[in-house]
Amino acid sequence: MGLEFLVRVRNTTLWLAGVGALLVASYLSPRLGLALAAGAAWSLVNLSLIERLITALTSRERVTFACRNRAALAIAGLVVLFASGAALLALLPAPWLMAGFGVPLVVMVSKAVSALLLMTGAWARLTKSPWRAALVAIAIGGLAWLAVSALPGHPSAALHAAPPAHASAATHEEQKAPGFPTVVTLLEATMPHAGWVAWVVKDEVLLFSMLIALLLCVAAYFASRNAKMIPGPLQNVVETLVEKLYDFIVGILGPRYGPRYVPFLGTLFIYILAMNLFGLIPFMHSPTASLNVTVALALTVFVYVQYTGLRELGVPGYFHHLLGSPRDVTSWLLTPLMLPIHILGELAKPISLSCRLFGNVFGEDMLLVAFATLGVMCLPVKQLPFGLPLQFPLFLGLAIFSSVLQALVFTVLSTVYILLMLPHEEHGHEGEAHPAH
Amino acid sequence: MDFHSALGLGLPVGIGLAAIGSGIGLGGIGNGAMQAIGRQPEATAKIQLAMIIIAALAEALTIYAFVTMFLLSPKI
Repeated sequence: MGLEFLVRVRNTTLWLAGVGALLVASYLSPRLGLALAAGAAWSLVNLSLIERLITALTSRERVTFACRNRAALAIAGLVVLFASGAALLALLPAPWLMAGFGVPLVVMVSKAVSALLLMTGAWARLTKSPWRAALVAIAIGGLAWLAVSALPGHPSAALHAAPPAHASAATHEEQKAPGFPTVVTLLEATMPHAGWVAWVVKDEVLLFSMLIALLLCVAAYFASRNAKMIPGPLQNVVETLVEKLYDFIVGILGPRYGPRYVPFLGTLFIYILAMNLFGLIPFMHSPTASLNVTVALALTVFVYVQYTGLRELGVPGYFHHLLGSPRDVTSWLLTPLMLPIHILGELAKPISLSCRLFGNVFGEDMLLVAFATLGVMCLPVKQLPFGLPLQFPLFLGLAIFSSVLQALVFTVLSTVYILLMLPHEEHGHEGEAHPAH
Repeated sequence: MDFHSALGLGLPVGIGLAAIGSGIGLGGIGNGAMQAIGRQPEATAKIQLAMIIIAALAEALTIYAFVTMFLLSPKI
Protein backbone atom coordinates (compact mmCIF):
# COMPACT_ATOMS: atom_id res chain seq x y z
CA MET A 1 0.00 0.00 0.00
CA GLY A 2 1.72 3.09 -1.22
CA LEU A 3 1.24 5.83 -3.72
CA GLU A 4 -0.11 3.31 -6.22
CA PHE A 5 -2.95 2.60 -3.81
CA LEU A 6 -3.77 6.32 -3.69
CA VAL A 7 -3.83 6.48 -7.48
CA ARG A 8 -6.31 3.63 -7.60
CA VAL A 9 -8.43 5.31 -4.94
CA ARG A 10 -8.41 8.48 -7.00
CA ASN A 11 -9.51 6.71 -10.19
CA THR A 12 -12.30 4.81 -8.46
CA THR A 13 -13.49 7.95 -6.73
CA LEU A 14 -13.55 9.87 -10.00
CA TRP A 15 -15.74 7.25 -11.63
CA LEU A 16 -17.98 6.73 -8.62
CA ALA A 17 -18.51 10.41 -7.92
CA GLY A 18 -19.04 11.21 -11.60
CA VAL A 19 -21.69 8.54 -12.08
CA GLY A 20 -23.29 9.35 -8.72
CA ALA A 21 -23.40 13.06 -9.49
CA LEU A 22 -24.97 12.37 -12.90
CA LEU A 23 -27.59 10.11 -11.29
CA VAL A 24 -28.39 12.63 -8.58
CA ALA A 25 -28.47 15.47 -11.10
CA SER A 26 -30.88 13.66 -13.40
CA TYR A 27 -33.15 12.10 -10.77
CA LEU A 28 -33.18 14.58 -7.87
CA SER A 29 -31.96 18.01 -8.90
CA PRO A 30 -28.99 19.42 -10.84
CA ARG A 31 -27.93 21.54 -7.84
CA LEU A 32 -27.55 18.54 -5.57
CA GLY A 33 -25.54 16.71 -8.25
CA LEU A 34 -23.27 19.71 -8.56
CA ALA A 35 -22.82 19.75 -4.79
CA LEU A 36 -21.90 16.06 -4.77
CA ALA A 37 -19.40 16.50 -7.59
CA ALA A 38 -17.92 19.62 -5.96
CA GLY A 39 -17.55 17.84 -2.62
CA ALA A 40 -15.81 14.88 -4.20
CA ALA A 41 -13.52 17.13 -6.25
CA TRP A 42 -12.66 19.17 -3.16
CA SER A 43 -11.83 16.04 -1.22
CA LEU A 44 -9.67 14.66 -4.03
CA VAL A 45 -7.69 17.89 -4.37
CA ASN A 46 -7.29 17.93 -0.61
CA LEU A 47 -5.95 14.37 -0.59
CA SER A 48 -3.53 15.00 -3.44
CA LEU A 49 -2.20 18.19 -1.80
CA ILE A 50 -1.66 16.36 1.47
CA GLU A 51 0.05 13.56 -0.44
CA ARG A 52 2.39 16.10 -2.04
CA LEU A 53 3.13 17.71 1.26
CA ILE A 54 3.98 14.40 2.86
CA THR A 55 6.17 13.23 -0.02
CA ALA A 56 7.97 16.58 0.00
CA LEU A 57 8.56 16.44 3.75
CA THR A 58 9.55 12.79 4.00
CA SER A 59 11.74 12.51 0.89
CA ARG A 60 15.43 12.05 1.44
CA GLU A 61 16.55 15.41 0.04
CA ARG A 62 14.15 17.42 2.18
CA VAL A 63 16.80 19.99 2.94
CA THR A 64 17.10 21.16 -0.66
CA PHE A 65 15.49 24.34 -1.79
CA ALA A 66 13.21 22.78 -4.44
CA CYS A 67 11.77 20.42 -1.89
CA ARG A 68 10.97 23.14 0.62
CA ASN A 69 9.54 25.14 -2.23
CA ARG A 70 7.20 22.26 -3.10
CA ALA A 71 6.09 21.92 0.51
CA ALA A 72 5.39 25.64 0.72
CA LEU A 73 3.38 25.49 -2.50
CA ALA A 74 1.32 22.59 -1.14
CA ILE A 75 0.60 24.50 2.08
CA ALA A 76 -0.44 27.59 0.09
CA GLY A 77 -2.67 25.37 -2.03
CA LEU A 78 -4.26 23.94 1.10
CA VAL A 79 -5.02 27.44 2.39
CA VAL A 80 -6.65 28.40 -0.91
CA LEU A 81 -8.52 25.11 -0.87
CA PHE A 82 -9.96 25.70 2.59
CA ALA A 83 -11.05 29.18 1.59
CA SER A 84 -12.82 27.79 -1.48
CA GLY A 85 -14.36 25.09 0.72
CA ALA A 86 -15.91 27.77 2.92
CA ALA A 87 -17.29 29.49 -0.18
CA LEU A 88 -18.72 26.19 -1.46
CA LEU A 89 -20.38 25.51 1.89
CA ALA A 90 -22.08 28.88 1.68
CA LEU A 91 -23.21 28.35 -1.93
CA LEU A 92 -24.31 24.72 -2.15
CA PRO A 93 -26.39 22.47 0.15
CA ALA A 94 -24.08 21.23 2.87
CA PRO A 95 -25.27 17.59 3.33
CA TRP A 96 -24.58 16.72 -0.28
CA LEU A 97 -21.21 18.46 -0.16
CA MET A 98 -20.37 16.35 2.86
CA ALA A 99 -21.55 13.22 1.03
CA GLY A 100 -19.25 14.07 -1.87
CA PHE A 101 -16.46 14.76 0.59
CA GLY A 102 -16.94 11.34 2.11
CA VAL A 103 -16.77 9.42 -1.20
CA PRO A 104 -12.95 9.10 -1.36
CA LEU A 105 -12.79 8.11 2.30
CA VAL A 106 -15.44 5.43 1.78
CA VAL A 107 -13.59 4.19 -1.30
CA MET A 108 -10.35 4.07 0.64
CA VAL A 109 -11.84 2.11 3.51
CA SER A 110 -13.70 -0.33 1.27
CA LYS A 111 -10.60 -0.88 -0.87
CA ALA A 112 -8.53 -1.60 2.22
CA VAL A 113 -11.18 -3.96 3.59
CA SER A 114 -11.49 -5.81 0.29
CA ALA A 115 -7.69 -6.10 0.07
CA LEU A 116 -7.66 -7.65 3.54
CA LEU A 117 -10.56 -9.92 2.59
CA LEU A 118 -8.83 -11.08 -0.60
CA MET A 119 -5.78 -12.19 1.39
CA THR A 120 -7.68 -14.48 3.75
CA GLY A 121 -7.83 -18.23 3.24
CA ALA A 122 -11.63 -18.40 3.27
CA TRP A 123 -11.81 -16.27 0.13
CA ALA A 124 -9.30 -18.46 -1.70
CA ARG A 125 -11.28 -21.59 -0.75
CA LEU A 126 -14.48 -19.92 -1.93
CA THR A 127 -13.18 -18.91 -5.34
CA LYS A 128 -11.38 -22.16 -6.09
CA SER A 129 -14.46 -23.65 -7.74
CA PRO A 130 -16.29 -21.34 -10.16
CA TRP A 131 -19.67 -22.87 -9.34
CA ARG A 132 -19.35 -22.13 -5.65
CA ALA A 133 -18.24 -18.59 -6.44
CA ALA A 134 -21.22 -18.09 -8.76
CA LEU A 135 -23.58 -19.40 -6.07
CA VAL A 136 -22.17 -16.99 -3.52
CA ALA A 137 -22.41 -14.08 -5.97
CA ILE A 138 -26.06 -14.93 -6.69
CA ALA A 139 -26.77 -15.17 -2.96
CA ILE A 140 -25.17 -11.78 -2.29
CA GLY A 141 -27.07 -10.22 -5.20
CA GLY A 142 -30.35 -11.68 -3.95
CA LEU A 143 -29.75 -10.41 -0.43
CA ALA A 144 -28.94 -6.94 -1.74
CA TRP A 145 -32.10 -7.02 -3.87
CA LEU A 146 -34.23 -7.97 -0.86
CA ALA A 147 -32.59 -5.32 1.30
CA VAL A 148 -33.16 -2.59 -1.29
CA SER A 149 -36.80 -3.52 -1.85
CA ALA A 150 -37.41 -3.68 1.91
CA LEU A 151 -36.22 -0.09 2.36
CA PRO A 152 -39.16 2.28 2.91
CA GLY A 153 -37.86 5.12 0.76
CA HIS A 154 -37.03 2.82 -2.12
CA PRO A 155 -35.91 4.98 -5.09
CA SER A 156 -38.14 3.38 -7.74
CA ALA A 157 -41.18 3.88 -5.48
CA ALA A 158 -40.21 7.54 -5.18
CA LEU A 159 -39.97 7.74 -8.94
CA HIS A 160 -43.43 6.25 -9.34
CA ALA A 161 -44.85 8.72 -6.85
CA ALA A 162 -43.37 11.75 -8.64
CA PRO A 163 -46.44 13.35 -10.26
CA PRO A 164 -45.12 14.62 -13.63
CA ALA A 165 -43.33 11.40 -14.53
CA HIS A 166 -46.35 9.37 -13.51
CA ALA A 167 -48.77 11.46 -15.53
CA SER A 168 -46.67 11.32 -18.67
CA ALA A 169 -46.19 7.55 -18.25
CA ALA A 170 -49.95 7.07 -17.92
CA THR A 171 -50.75 9.08 -21.04
CA HIS A 172 -47.99 7.29 -22.85
CA GLU A 173 -49.40 3.90 -21.98
CA GLU A 174 -52.86 4.80 -23.15
CA GLN A 175 -51.72 5.62 -26.64
CA LYS A 176 -49.04 2.98 -26.86
CA ALA A 177 -48.00 2.14 -30.39
CA PRO A 178 -49.30 -1.20 -31.66
CA GLY A 179 -46.82 -4.02 -31.68
CA PHE A 180 -46.35 -7.74 -31.43
CA PRO A 181 -46.77 -9.17 -27.95
CA THR A 182 -43.51 -9.63 -26.12
CA VAL A 183 -42.59 -11.55 -23.01
CA VAL A 184 -43.03 -8.34 -21.08
CA THR A 185 -46.54 -7.55 -22.32
CA LEU A 186 -47.54 -11.14 -21.62
CA LEU A 187 -46.25 -10.78 -18.06
CA GLU A 188 -48.16 -7.54 -17.71
CA ALA A 189 -51.34 -9.18 -18.96
CA THR A 190 -51.05 -12.18 -16.62
CA MET A 191 -49.96 -10.27 -13.49
CA PRO A 192 -51.13 -6.68 -13.87
CA HIS A 193 -50.69 -5.66 -10.23
CA ALA A 194 -47.36 -7.11 -9.15
CA GLY A 195 -44.83 -4.42 -8.32
CA TRP A 196 -41.89 -6.00 -10.04
CA VAL A 197 -43.89 -6.42 -13.24
CA ALA A 198 -44.47 -2.66 -13.34
CA TRP A 199 -40.74 -2.21 -13.00
CA VAL A 200 -40.10 -4.71 -15.81
CA VAL A 201 -42.59 -2.95 -18.08
CA LYS A 202 -41.00 0.42 -17.40
CA ASP A 203 -37.51 -0.83 -18.16
CA GLU A 204 -38.43 -3.29 -20.89
CA VAL A 205 -35.93 -1.91 -23.38
CA LEU A 206 -33.16 -1.85 -20.81
CA LEU A 207 -33.91 -5.43 -19.84
CA PHE A 208 -33.80 -6.68 -23.42
CA SER A 209 -30.58 -4.84 -24.24
CA MET A 210 -28.90 -6.23 -21.13
CA LEU A 211 -30.12 -9.70 -22.00
CA ILE A 212 -28.56 -9.34 -25.44
CA ALA A 213 -25.29 -8.08 -23.98
CA LEU A 214 -25.29 -11.06 -21.63
CA LEU A 215 -25.94 -13.49 -24.49
CA LEU A 216 -23.08 -11.97 -26.50
CA CYS A 217 -20.78 -12.25 -23.49
CA VAL A 218 -21.68 -15.91 -23.01
CA ALA A 219 -21.17 -16.61 -26.71
CA ALA A 220 -17.79 -14.86 -26.67
CA TYR A 221 -16.77 -16.78 -23.55
CA PHE A 222 -17.63 -20.16 -25.02
CA ALA A 223 -16.06 -19.29 -28.38
CA SER A 224 -12.76 -18.14 -26.93
CA ARG A 225 -12.47 -20.72 -24.16
CA ASN A 226 -9.87 -23.33 -25.11
CA ALA A 227 -9.39 -22.03 -28.64
CA LYS A 228 -7.98 -24.70 -30.91
CA MET A 229 -5.86 -24.71 -34.03
CA ILE A 230 -8.65 -26.53 -35.85
CA PRO A 231 -11.68 -24.58 -34.64
CA GLY A 232 -15.06 -25.95 -33.70
CA PRO A 233 -18.21 -24.50 -35.28
CA LEU A 234 -18.74 -21.66 -32.81
CA GLN A 235 -15.11 -20.60 -32.78
CA ASN A 236 -15.10 -20.75 -36.56
CA VAL A 237 -18.07 -18.42 -36.92
CA VAL A 238 -16.76 -15.93 -34.38
CA GLU A 239 -13.26 -15.92 -35.81
CA THR A 240 -14.57 -15.31 -39.33
CA LEU A 241 -16.71 -12.44 -38.10
CA VAL A 242 -13.87 -10.84 -36.18
CA GLU A 243 -11.44 -11.22 -39.07
CA LYS A 244 -13.87 -9.69 -41.55
CA LEU A 245 -14.57 -6.79 -39.21
CA TYR A 246 -10.84 -6.28 -38.63
CA ASP A 247 -10.08 -6.22 -42.34
CA PHE A 248 -13.01 -3.92 -43.01
CA ILE A 249 -12.17 -1.33 -40.34
CA VAL A 250 -8.42 -1.40 -40.95
CA GLY A 251 -9.20 -1.00 -44.66
CA ILE A 252 -10.94 2.29 -43.90
CA LEU A 253 -8.75 3.69 -41.12
CA GLY A 254 -5.44 2.46 -42.46
CA PRO A 255 -2.95 0.06 -40.85
CA ARG A 256 -1.48 2.69 -38.53
CA TYR A 257 -4.59 3.79 -36.64
CA GLY A 258 -6.99 1.00 -37.54
CA PRO A 259 -6.20 -1.78 -35.03
CA ARG A 260 -6.76 0.48 -32.04
CA TYR A 261 -10.39 1.17 -33.02
CA VAL A 262 -11.36 -2.36 -34.06
CA PRO A 263 -12.61 -3.47 -30.61
CA PHE A 264 -14.92 -0.50 -30.14
CA LEU A 265 -16.34 -0.43 -33.67
CA GLY A 266 -16.58 -4.20 -33.97
CA THR A 267 -18.44 -4.43 -30.67
CA LEU A 268 -20.75 -1.70 -31.87
CA PHE A 269 -21.53 -3.65 -35.04
CA ILE A 270 -22.13 -6.97 -33.32
CA TYR A 271 -24.22 -5.43 -30.54
CA ILE A 272 -26.41 -3.39 -32.90
CA LEU A 273 -26.84 -6.32 -35.26
CA ALA A 274 -27.91 -8.56 -32.37
CA MET A 275 -30.32 -5.93 -31.08
CA ASN A 276 -31.85 -5.39 -34.54
CA LEU A 277 -32.32 -9.09 -35.17
CA PHE A 278 -33.61 -9.80 -31.68
CA GLY A 279 -36.99 -8.28 -32.54
CA LEU A 280 -37.58 -10.94 -35.19
CA ILE A 281 -37.63 -13.72 -32.58
CA PRO A 282 -41.23 -14.30 -31.48
CA PHE A 283 -42.07 -12.68 -28.11
CA MET A 284 -38.91 -10.61 -28.18
CA HIS A 285 -38.44 -6.94 -28.87
CA SER A 286 -35.72 -4.92 -30.60
CA PRO A 287 -34.20 -2.48 -28.11
CA THR A 288 -33.08 -0.35 -31.07
CA ALA A 289 -36.76 0.30 -31.90
CA SER A 290 -36.65 2.74 -28.99
CA LEU A 291 -35.08 6.15 -29.40
CA ASN A 292 -33.51 5.94 -25.93
CA VAL A 293 -31.17 3.10 -26.89
CA THR A 294 -30.11 4.57 -30.21
CA VAL A 295 -29.48 7.99 -28.67
CA ALA A 296 -27.34 6.34 -26.02
CA LEU A 297 -25.32 4.51 -28.69
CA ALA A 298 -24.94 7.64 -30.79
CA LEU A 299 -23.85 9.70 -27.78
CA THR A 300 -21.24 7.06 -26.96
CA VAL A 301 -19.88 7.38 -30.49
CA PHE A 302 -19.99 11.17 -30.27
CA VAL A 303 -18.02 11.33 -27.03
CA TYR A 304 -15.56 8.75 -28.28
CA VAL A 305 -14.99 10.66 -31.53
CA GLN A 306 -14.37 13.93 -29.67
CA TYR A 307 -12.03 12.13 -27.27
CA THR A 308 -10.19 10.59 -30.21
CA GLY A 309 -9.79 14.02 -31.76
CA LEU A 310 -8.44 15.48 -28.54
CA ARG A 311 -6.04 12.60 -28.05
CA GLU A 312 -4.73 12.26 -31.59
CA LEU A 313 -4.61 15.94 -32.56
CA GLY A 314 -3.94 17.49 -29.16
CA VAL A 315 -5.94 20.43 -27.86
CA PRO A 316 -4.54 23.02 -30.34
CA GLY A 317 -4.86 20.59 -33.23
CA TYR A 318 -8.44 19.83 -32.24
CA PHE A 319 -9.41 23.49 -32.36
CA HIS A 320 -7.45 23.90 -35.57
CA HIS A 321 -9.58 21.08 -36.98
CA LEU A 322 -12.75 22.77 -35.73
CA LEU A 323 -11.67 25.96 -37.50
CA GLY A 324 -11.56 24.01 -40.76
CA SER A 325 -7.79 23.32 -40.78
CA PRO A 326 -6.79 26.74 -42.17
CA ARG A 327 -3.44 26.87 -43.97
CA ASP A 328 -3.25 30.17 -45.86
CA VAL A 329 -4.60 33.70 -45.45
CA THR A 330 -7.93 33.16 -47.19
CA SER A 331 -8.84 30.14 -45.12
CA TRP A 332 -7.81 31.96 -41.92
CA LEU A 333 -10.15 34.76 -42.94
CA LEU A 334 -12.93 32.24 -43.44
CA THR A 335 -12.60 30.73 -39.95
CA PRO A 336 -15.44 32.75 -38.35
CA LEU A 337 -17.69 31.13 -40.93
CA MET A 338 -16.19 27.65 -40.63
CA LEU A 339 -16.30 27.35 -36.84
CA PRO A 340 -20.12 27.36 -36.43
CA ILE A 341 -20.48 25.10 -39.45
CA HIS A 342 -18.06 22.55 -38.00
CA ILE A 343 -19.62 22.70 -34.54
CA LEU A 344 -23.11 22.24 -36.00
CA GLY A 345 -21.80 19.38 -38.10
CA GLU A 346 -20.36 17.66 -35.04
CA LEU A 347 -23.64 18.10 -33.16
CA ALA A 348 -25.70 16.85 -36.09
CA LYS A 349 -23.78 13.56 -36.18
CA PRO A 350 -25.35 11.92 -33.09
CA ILE A 351 -28.82 13.15 -34.06
CA SER A 352 -28.64 11.71 -37.54
CA LEU A 353 -27.04 8.46 -36.34
CA SER A 354 -29.67 7.83 -33.67
CA CYS A 355 -32.69 8.88 -35.76
CA ARG A 356 -31.58 6.77 -38.69
CA LEU A 357 -31.18 3.59 -36.67
CA PHE A 358 -34.36 4.17 -34.66
CA GLY A 359 -36.46 5.03 -37.72
CA ASN A 360 -35.32 2.03 -39.72
CA VAL A 361 -35.77 -0.57 -36.99
CA PHE A 362 -39.02 0.91 -35.74
CA GLY A 363 -40.38 1.26 -39.27
CA GLU A 364 -39.46 -2.34 -40.03
CA ASP A 365 -41.30 -3.52 -36.90
CA MET A 366 -44.34 -1.44 -37.78
CA LEU A 367 -44.33 -2.87 -41.31
CA LEU A 368 -44.33 -6.42 -39.96
CA VAL A 369 -47.12 -5.56 -37.50
CA ALA A 370 -49.20 -3.95 -40.25
CA PHE A 371 -48.92 -6.94 -42.54
CA ALA A 372 -49.55 -9.46 -39.77
CA THR A 373 -52.70 -7.54 -38.83
CA LEU A 374 -53.74 -7.50 -42.47
CA GLY A 375 -53.19 -11.26 -42.63
CA VAL A 376 -55.51 -11.75 -39.68
CA MET A 377 -58.15 -9.38 -41.00
CA CYS A 378 -58.35 -10.65 -44.56
CA LEU A 379 -59.55 -14.13 -43.51
CA PRO A 380 -63.28 -14.43 -44.13
CA VAL A 381 -63.99 -16.00 -40.75
CA LYS A 382 -63.06 -13.74 -37.85
CA GLN A 383 -62.10 -14.95 -34.36
CA LEU A 384 -59.49 -17.36 -35.65
CA PRO A 385 -56.39 -17.66 -33.51
CA PHE A 386 -54.15 -17.36 -36.58
CA GLY A 387 -53.94 -15.39 -39.80
CA LEU A 388 -52.42 -15.66 -43.25
CA PRO A 389 -48.67 -15.25 -42.87
CA LEU A 390 -48.57 -12.31 -45.25
CA GLN A 391 -45.47 -10.86 -43.62
CA PHE A 392 -43.52 -14.06 -43.83
CA PRO A 393 -41.47 -14.42 -46.99
CA LEU A 394 -40.91 -10.95 -48.35
CA PHE A 395 -41.01 -8.58 -45.43
CA LEU A 396 -39.18 -10.80 -43.00
CA GLY A 397 -36.38 -11.10 -45.53
CA LEU A 398 -36.46 -7.36 -45.99
CA ALA A 399 -36.28 -6.88 -42.24
CA ILE A 400 -33.25 -9.17 -41.92
CA PHE A 401 -31.50 -7.40 -44.79
CA SER A 402 -32.27 -3.98 -43.41
CA SER A 403 -31.14 -4.98 -39.90
CA VAL A 404 -27.73 -6.01 -41.20
CA LEU A 405 -27.52 -2.95 -43.43
CA GLN A 406 -28.37 -0.52 -40.64
CA ALA A 407 -25.85 -2.07 -38.25
CA LEU A 408 -23.27 -1.80 -41.03
CA VAL A 409 -24.22 1.80 -41.78
CA PHE A 410 -23.96 2.79 -38.12
CA THR A 411 -20.53 1.21 -37.87
CA VAL A 412 -19.28 2.63 -41.16
CA LEU A 413 -20.42 6.14 -40.27
CA SER A 414 -18.80 5.90 -36.84
CA THR A 415 -15.60 4.75 -38.53
CA VAL A 416 -15.75 7.65 -40.95
CA TYR A 417 -16.27 10.10 -38.09
CA ILE A 418 -13.19 8.72 -36.36
CA LEU A 419 -11.30 8.89 -39.67
CA LEU A 420 -12.19 12.56 -40.03
CA MET A 421 -10.78 13.23 -36.57
CA LEU A 422 -7.47 11.46 -37.21
CA PRO A 423 -4.52 13.50 -38.46
CA HIS A 424 -4.86 13.14 -42.22
CA GLU A 425 -1.67 14.31 -43.87
CA GLU A 426 -1.66 11.33 -46.19
CA HIS A 427 -5.30 11.76 -47.12
CA GLY A 428 -4.93 15.44 -47.93
CA HIS A 429 -8.36 16.97 -48.34
CA GLU A 430 -10.03 13.78 -49.47
CA GLY A 431 -11.11 13.28 -45.89
CA GLU A 432 -12.81 16.64 -45.89
CA ALA A 433 -14.64 15.86 -49.11
CA HIS A 434 -16.10 12.78 -47.46
CA PRO A 435 -19.68 13.21 -46.25
CA ALA A 436 -19.62 14.86 -42.87
CA HIS A 437 -22.98 13.56 -41.67
CA MET B 1 -59.86 23.52 -42.48
CA ASP B 2 -58.94 23.02 -38.84
CA PHE B 3 -55.62 21.93 -37.41
CA HIS B 4 -56.46 18.22 -37.15
CA SER B 5 -57.63 17.71 -40.71
CA ALA B 6 -54.75 19.78 -42.04
CA LEU B 7 -52.33 17.56 -40.13
CA GLY B 8 -54.15 14.41 -41.23
CA LEU B 9 -53.92 15.45 -44.87
CA GLY B 10 -50.41 16.81 -44.64
CA LEU B 11 -48.58 13.97 -42.89
CA PRO B 12 -49.00 11.26 -45.57
CA VAL B 13 -48.32 13.75 -48.32
CA GLY B 14 -45.17 14.90 -46.53
CA ILE B 15 -43.92 11.33 -46.17
CA GLY B 16 -44.61 10.73 -49.84
CA LEU B 17 -42.72 13.85 -50.90
CA ALA B 18 -39.75 12.88 -48.75
CA ALA B 19 -39.82 9.38 -50.25
CA ILE B 20 -39.89 10.79 -53.78
CA GLY B 21 -36.89 12.97 -53.02
CA SER B 22 -34.75 10.28 -51.51
CA GLY B 23 -35.92 7.81 -54.16
CA ILE B 24 -34.52 10.10 -56.84
CA GLY B 25 -31.33 10.47 -54.82
CA LEU B 26 -30.95 6.72 -54.31
CA GLY B 27 -31.54 6.13 -58.00
CA GLY B 28 -28.76 8.52 -58.87
CA ILE B 29 -26.40 6.95 -56.35
CA GLY B 30 -27.13 3.44 -57.60
CA ASN B 31 -26.73 4.54 -61.20
CA GLY B 32 -23.34 6.11 -60.51
CA ALA B 33 -22.12 3.19 -58.44
CA MET B 34 -23.17 0.58 -60.98
CA GLN B 35 -21.49 2.47 -63.82
CA ALA B 36 -18.35 2.84 -61.75
CA ILE B 37 -18.33 -0.88 -60.91
CA GLY B 38 -18.92 -1.72 -64.55
CA ARG B 39 -15.95 0.39 -65.54
CA GLN B 40 -13.64 -0.79 -62.79
CA PRO B 41 -14.81 -4.13 -61.39
CA GLU B 42 -11.63 -4.47 -59.32
CA ALA B 43 -12.61 -1.44 -57.19
CA THR B 44 -16.00 -2.96 -56.30
CA ALA B 45 -15.40 -3.07 -52.53
CA LYS B 46 -14.40 0.59 -52.24
CA ILE B 47 -17.23 1.77 -54.48
CA GLN B 48 -19.76 -0.29 -52.56
CA LEU B 49 -18.59 1.17 -49.27
CA ALA B 50 -18.93 4.73 -50.49
CA MET B 51 -22.27 3.85 -52.07
CA ILE B 52 -23.63 2.45 -48.81
CA ILE B 53 -22.55 5.55 -46.88
CA ILE B 54 -24.11 7.97 -49.33
CA ALA B 55 -27.23 5.84 -49.70
CA ALA B 56 -27.63 5.89 -45.92
CA LEU B 57 -27.39 9.68 -45.98
CA ALA B 58 -30.00 9.98 -48.72
CA GLU B 59 -32.30 7.47 -47.08
CA ALA B 60 -32.02 9.18 -43.70
CA LEU B 61 -34.12 12.07 -45.01
CA THR B 62 -37.13 9.81 -45.47
CA ILE B 63 -36.48 8.36 -42.05
CA TYR B 64 -36.58 11.84 -40.56
CA ALA B 65 -39.96 12.40 -42.21
CA PHE B 66 -41.09 9.03 -40.88
CA VAL B 67 -40.01 9.86 -37.33
CA THR B 68 -41.73 13.22 -37.60
CA MET B 69 -44.89 11.45 -38.68
CA PHE B 70 -44.77 9.18 -35.66
CA LEU B 71 -44.16 12.13 -33.39
CA LEU B 72 -47.08 14.06 -34.85
CA SER B 73 -49.59 11.31 -35.55
CA PRO B 74 -50.98 11.18 -31.97
CA LYS B 75 -52.04 14.79 -32.43
CA ILE B 76 -54.42 14.08 -35.30
